[in-house]
Amino acid sequence: MDSRLYNKQEKRQDRQPVWKGNLKVEKFSSEYFRKLANDLKFDLSDEEIEALKKDFLAVEKQVELFDTIDTDGVEPMIYPFETPTVFLREDEIVDVLDQDDALSNAADVRMGHVHVPKVVK
Amino acid sequence: MDKTTIEQSAKRLSEVQPSLNAVVTFAELPDEISTQGKLAGIPVVLKDNIITNGLRTTASSGILDNYIPVYDSIVAKRLKEAGAVIMAKASMDELGMGGTNRNAFTGPVHNPYDLDRISGGSSGGSAVLVASKAVPLAIGTDTGDSIRKPAAFCGVVGFKPTYGRIPRYGIIPYASSLDTVGTFTRSVKDAALALEVLAGRDDHDMTSSYEEVGEYSELLNDDLKGKKIGILRTVSDEIKNPDIKAAFDQLVDDLKNAGAIVSDLEMDRKLLELIAPVYKTIANAEATANHSNLDGIRFGVRKPGESVEDVMTASRTEGFSSYVRARFVIGSYSLFEENQDRLFRKAQKIRRLISEAYARLFEDQDVVLTIAAPDVAPKIEETSEVRFGIDRFEEEHMQLANFTGYPSIVLPLGLSDGLPFGVELTARPFEEQKLLDTAAGVEKVIDFQGEPTL
Repeated sequence: MDSRLYNKQEKRQDRQPVWKGNLKVEKFSSEYFRKLANDLKFDLSDEEIEALKKDFLAVEKQVELFDTIDTDGVEPMIYPFETPTVFLREDEIVDVLDQDDALSNAADVRMGHVHVPKVVK
Repeated sequence: MDKTTIEQSAKRLSEVQPSLNAVVTFAELPDEISTQGKLAGIPVVLKDNIITNGLRTTASSGILDNYIPVYDSIVAKRLKEAGAVIMAKASMDELGMGGTNRNAFTGPVHNPYDLDRISGGSSGGSAVLVASKAVPLAIGTDTGDSIRKPAAFCGVVGFKPTYGRIPRYGIIPYASSLDTVGTFTRSVKDAALALEVLAGRDDHDMTSSYEEVGEYSELLNDDLKGKKIGILRTVSDEIKNPDIKAAFDQLVDDLKNAGAIVSDLEMDRKLLELIAPVYKTIANAEATANHSNLDGIRFGVRKPGESVEDVMTASRTEGFSSYVRARFVIGSYSLFEENQDRLFRKAQKIRRLISEAYARLFEDQDVVLTIAAPDVAPKIEETSEVRFGIDRFEEEHMQLANFTGYPSIVLPLGLSDGLPFGVELTARPFEEQKLLDTAAGVEKVIDFQGEPTL
């Protein structure tokens, strides 16, 4: 099994999501939160945005608290344990869902496919 | 296992449902009840984030209200193989996010000791159904005390084993570096038996452990003589409720009299005060990434829209509560390239420092004991979810066992104004036998006699 082991620390760090903000609006304005929410594919009401503005004061305050802790030379703790449990499995077929099962929870299925609104107009 | 027949359980579940509002979906019961297996004929309830083949699984979120899985989680599979009967799916805070069980699509769950009070969360439905004797065993998940806090509020045994001890394949995730499957029971012995059935590596969950699974209930030994029990005073000294304080002091004396070697431990308060913000940063960030697949396209409730993007946006806006959407926004913010080092990575680094400090407490101890929650369950209308603020560390300290992955169990200790409170015991990773042995000894010393009024 050893030969198939990932170098866990390295691989897991590689997998950390890096999301770009790509925001050109004033930070913590209503427009900023609306854009942020739309990037996450949902909307926020005006009341929800006002509540978030308060949350973000706390988020920023927390950064000040984080800054009081010296973490120079400390590795990020990504999972509780360092013991490797992750490996590449054999390339064998397991757990096959039949097509009906795989599509059974989709709201719109046509001709064996998940149907969505037309993408190309 | 505590004997409750399937018929008794079914009757009790329907009886308590109007008052507790704990069940999301009742299961269709099998024609034949198994007589084989460690849990033969035992009625079980599962938290509704545990996938069950053919049985609606919503994680108490609107977006999954119509979701009927086509496969079983490892947990459901192992329970069925051991002869257990799945009776119902229990309410939770939406997608596990919350500690009150107020934020469930089906509404708040009520505490069986006082229906005006919260059950605690996020595994609130599971906790109250064991407390009210509808089932002897319920499965929950614990990301940041989501089994142990409701167990303390409802007077039952809440057990979070070591991270990776029980495979999570088929669990709708919250935060993958913290999520742990565990149990609610009315005794330590039952918790030990359930762990035997549920624990052990499964390749479907690459984070599940290869560590050997013990015969925990067979080997259970409640003798406290010579057991080294460290008392985490930094937390227990914060108790203000006089009933809890008196009961805790009495317990420490009783443990000494039972032959345990008891010593006081302290932890850096500055690190303890960082538990809540570090937890929220990590948990919200992991959650926002985990739930990007909930979009109403391939499964879940789909709302109409002109384009695929519109469909996703409408489905996610209506499908998630305001609270969950706010947490996604906060979570994604800490993952932005410009914020990652000062927020997400910084939190992961502080998590390591906190975990190392916590680990040092165990250097000369078998287990560490402290108070579970500093007070009894609050009234439903008096609670609100703090979305992002600095919390008191005595409220959030049980997240230490999630940061470190250590096994941790809550036992009921007593009643204050008729409401339960509990203690927490934690051990080193994979030392479940030692933890359960000590817990069984502590349980015997406490001899909790609380009965819900319901």
